Amino acid sequence: MSDREEAAADDPLAALESFRLADSFLPVGGYTLSYGLEQFVADDRVTGADDLRDLLATYLRNQLGPAELVALRAAHAAAGDGDVDAVCDADRRLTAVTLPAEFRESSRKSGRRLLSLQRELRDDPVLDGYAERVEEGDTACNYAVVLGAATGVAGVDADRACLLCCHGFVTGRLGVAQRLLSLGHTDAQRVLDDLRPVMVEAADDSVGRGLADMTPFSPLVDVLSAEHERADRRLFVS
Amino acid sequence: MAADANADADGPHDTDAAGTDDGATDDADDADTVDVPHPAFEPYARETVPQAAVGSPGKDGRLELRFAATSGGTTLVHDYATVPFHLSGTLDYDPHPDGETVFVQSPTGGVAQGDRHEVTVEVGADAVAHVSTGSSTKVQSMTHNYAGAETTLSVGSGGHLDYAPEPTILHADARYAEEFSLDLAAGASAVVSNVVVPGRLARDERFAFERYLSRTRATGPDGPLFADATHLTPAESDPTAPGVLGEFAVYGAAFVVAPDRDAAALSDTLHDAVAGGADGDARAGATELPNGAGVAVRALADRAETVRAALHAAWDRARRELVGAPAPAGRKY
Repeated sequence: MSDREEAAADDPLAALESFRLADSFLPVGGYTLSYGLEQFVADDRVTGADDLRDLLATYLRNQLGPAELVALRAAHAAAGDGDVDAVCDADRRLTAVTLPAEFRESSRKSGRRLLSLQRELRDDPVLDGYAERVEEGDTACNYAVVLGAATGVAGVDADRACLLCCHGFVTGRLGVAQRLLSLGHTDAQRVLDDLRPVMVEAADDSVGRGLADMTPFSPLVDVLSAEHERADRRLFVS
Repeated sequence: MAADANADADGPHDTDAAGTDDGATDDADDADTVDVPHPAFEPYARETVPQAAVGSPGKDGRLELRFAATSGGTTLVHDYATVPFHLSGTLDYDPHPDGETVFVQSPTGGVAQGDRHEVTVEVGADAVAHVSTGSSTKVQSMTHNYAGAETTLSVGSGGHLDYAPEPTILHADARYAEEFSLDLAAGASAVVSNVVVPGRLARDERFAFERYLSRTRATGPDGPLFADATHLTPAESDPTAPGVLGEFAVYGAAFVVAPDRDAAALSDTLHDAVAGGADGDARAGATELPNGAGVAVRALADRAETVRAALHAAWDRARRELVGAPAPAGRKY
């Protein structure tokens, strides 16, 4: 860890910022997004806490680690350098490897909410410049990229930002699962606790990858997401 | 052929031109770095091959096909093939009146360690071409190095390409990296499909290969369209995990790339074509590709035939929409 990163990890204000961004209280609409989970429940593939944990582990290992966290790290570094073009590049590349249409839409929706929230709280030239490019329709505004840029400008270090993203993703889906399954609060906490090593694994996996090496791979999730697009009854956007 | 194989693992054709114009931060310019499609293949690339060396004749097969629209329909105007590729002319087989078909054959038993294959297919403006293989590609067991194939496809304005090889079968201990890059001019379209079988299933060989990486990248007149990857390392990461392949063994994907078409409508049409739900059908679905590029179809099943049938159904619908003719029959023998 560099001195700068070490300072960032110790900065109490950055720590508080990371708690705020990881909190399910953060108003980015995650409760409307199941990322295919609704279809896994409808298909009886997820019926309880164990199935849920195993499926969420796949998301962490096969989607977040090899793709979203890679883009997050790139956006984090770019924001630290004040390089809006590089943030947009990470954004466009993440869009290009996110093949399920509902996932792109979900990521864009929550990304836009987070970006506008961050800009309400404080002025920052990188976030403002990026928002301008989003407005121009130049780039999509993926959630992981906004989170990377926001943590980059707030001085939250990149490894922590990756863990924060994993934690936020899992708690968001646990909230969804509680409305789809009979999943008690203790069970939900147990899944979150059990998945800690997988979150660390996903964050580590993203370290050595460049933007050209994003390789998300979970075809059954993609197929069920395609079915969800056409499902007659659905509670969630994705 | 060189018995003493102190191979320069780079081989003679290590150009990195296809699609890695990324300005990414990861390419360290280390003198010791060997040119590999993915860092995971680097340790393999350093291993010498005990038989013919990497890059020696027979190991560096090349295939070049160029199609052009002529007054008599689409014609194969340039072809070049070295072992293990073999061509025996074109076939008058396509239901499209102007379509031209090439089935690439192989006189060898399959893809072996140290092989580096390069395939280039160019479809000129307004030409309609279909390229496939006559039989499955068998990727044989390996103890040294790896095998790689690079396929570069391009389609000129108003042209159409169907690139739909027979399935790839990964034998035990195989290490195989394949890259597909597709570039479309304005008004062009393509269907690119690929099916991977994780072993000789009839002899209960399943997920016994070491590593398989298949990447597909597409660009259009306005830049990158999408990128997809299949990366399987069964010993390290369970391919049958929920959401990955689940209870299925065989996986296939078809990319219907047509940036000038209504992707939303095409996606629904193709989904209807593949989402069977009956016993014996593949589990399959279609979704819109990013950047308005077209539609991705993915299919999973226990048997290669089932996945092929689903992808063929999608291909058939897509072809009717894109070129106004059905897909050719799937059977080749």
